[in-house]
Amino acid sequence: MSGERKPSMTRRFWMAIGLAAVLAYSLAPFVWIMIASITPETKDYGTLSNRQIQYFPAHPTLDNYVDLFVNNPFALYFRNSTIIATGNMLLTLVVAALGAYAFVRFRFAGRSSLLVAMLVAYTIPSVVLLVPLLVIFRTYGLINTHLGMILAEATHSAPFVLLLLINYFSTLPPELDEQARVDGCTRLGALWRIVLPLSVPGLVAGGLLAFIMTWNNFLFAFLFTTTNNVKTLPVMMRLFAMGEPAVWGTSAAGAVLTTLPVALIFLLFQRMLMSGLAAGAVKG
Amino acid sequence: MVRPRRRRRGRLLPYALIAPIAILLLAISVYPGLYAIWLAMTDASLLRLARAQFIGIGNFVRMAGDDIFLDSLWRTLRWDVAVVLSELLIALPIALFLNLTFRGRGFARVAMMIPYITPPAVVGLLFAYMFDGNFGVVNDILVKAGILDRYVSFLSDPTGSFAVTVAAMVWYGTPLMALILLAALQTIPQPLYDAANVDGASAWQRFRYITLPHLMPSILFLMLLRLIWMSNHIDMIFVLTQGGPGFANYTAAVYSFKLTNQFEIGYASAVAVVLTILLVAASAMYVRHLARKVLVAA
Repeated sequence: MSGERKPSMTRRFWMAIGLAAVLAYSLAPFVWIMIASITPETKDYGTLSNRQIQYFPAHPTLDNYVDLFVNNPFALYFRNSTIIATGNMLLTLVVAALGAYAFVRFRFAGRSSLLVAMLVAYTIPSVVLLVPLLVIFRTYGLINTHLGMILAEATHSAPFVLLLLINYFSTLPPELDEQARVDGCTRLGALWRIVLPLSVPGLVAGGLLAFIMTWNNFLFAFLFTTTNNVKTLPVMMRLFAMGEPAVWGTSAAGAVLTTLPVALIFLLFQRMLMSGLAAGAVKG
Repeated sequence: MVRPRRRRRGRLLPYALIAPIAILLLAISVYPGLYAIWLAMTDASLLRLARAQFIGIGNFVRMAGDDIFLDSLWRTLRWDVAVVLSELLIALPIALFLNLTFRGRGFARVAMMIPYITPPAVVGLLFAYMFDGNFGVVNDILVKAGILDRYVSFLSDPTGSFAVTVAAMVWYGTPLMALILLAALQTIPQPLYDAANVDGASAWQRFRYITLPHLMPSILFLMLLRLIWMSNHIDMIFVLTQGGPGFANYTAAVYSFKLTNQFEIGYASAVAVVLTILLVAASAMYVRHLARKVLVAA
């Protein structure tokens, strides 16, 4: 542990083995699908059963990616996923930030019961909510709408982000907003001018985790949408997994492009996102 | 006259701030949750919702004699145990390793998280591709290594498909466990290890008497968390197997989901409600844990 001595050769050897094992475990399936996505699909496969395993394609190609956009509604699904995940992120941030501010900075009758009630609402599993939400959404015309999907996803993300922001706001010293109020700010002014600007890392973590959760969720999209105009990428991934269309190169390209946005978000904001996840309140 | 009015407005402000999220959760979680309990006592079908009849405990009686349901409960338990224990057995060494000092650690910690960021439907696709019976890389490796003598169609075999689905779920879920265990490891004070070294404790003794006791609360919390969400999990099983072949991968949650897709929403709700009731003790512990943490913070 002490920095003066150089690590011994054996130690370095075992460290390299360990590192290789962790990286292989975490990345190998992904590397494999990336290789599949640039492997040309030759027509002489005829049927899927003739498909050959190619570890290193001799002639890498981007045709599969082109096929994804030309012969599949990938762009439309990508748009839907973006609309729904972004809408959910914004809705969640607004309601959760207001609620978290109230819970952290005010003392009022029913405060802890309200908070516990929200936690209980959070633990109602999706499997229970599926049927009633389906019926309610059909009644109010929310099936096959982006709004319906945004609302359904908020069952996960709103309470999660609320918890995250409560934790974050509580780390800011209350003297800051008291000072702001002495200077003539209202309570809401203090939230807007002092608390929110100081909470940018927390807001970024909460908002992006809500985005990722929504982007990744399959269940609601599968049940609450029937048209291509609202369906999201995970629904398409399920069709691909069932071998439909039976072109694995295209499926692989779809898998890569579906994961790319969330992977990039994660890589760019990893520090904030990891601490948000480590709080241990994720659903699912 | 102005002051009391101002004060009253000030007293109402927190409620106004909470109102949006409270109304939202009331509308999309609490009300649907109660509605599910009502539906569970009806013979509602999505095709003739208006003519749904109240049948009391009819659905629950039907469940008691429904072999698919009883089987699915047993499978839920096996699924939970298989996934949670495997995740723990893989995540613990990863966390211990990533807690050491070495070059490339920062990169490894980020790379380790990638499976958890991948959409579960994509993870399903990845595993369907890797374990395919005709061109799956796993078959190729196992045959070349001499472990199998011919390609096996894992996903059309009841045991094989269950194992592949567990593997996919474990791959997806391990990073979260490793991350939380790593965070717990970092809070163990170094002087404890220094003192143990002075006393001549072996590596195993340091792990057994310092590391493990410190990790225990996190391990128990993680097992609770994963037990609840794995019991309710549908995505991975449905994407990879649709519950089949036959009913071989029906957990109670998947069964409820399949019933919903067959429009049998009354019975589907009943199955979901029973599942939730079975998990109520675990959920209560989880809520208590979160509440304690969050009430301290707020």
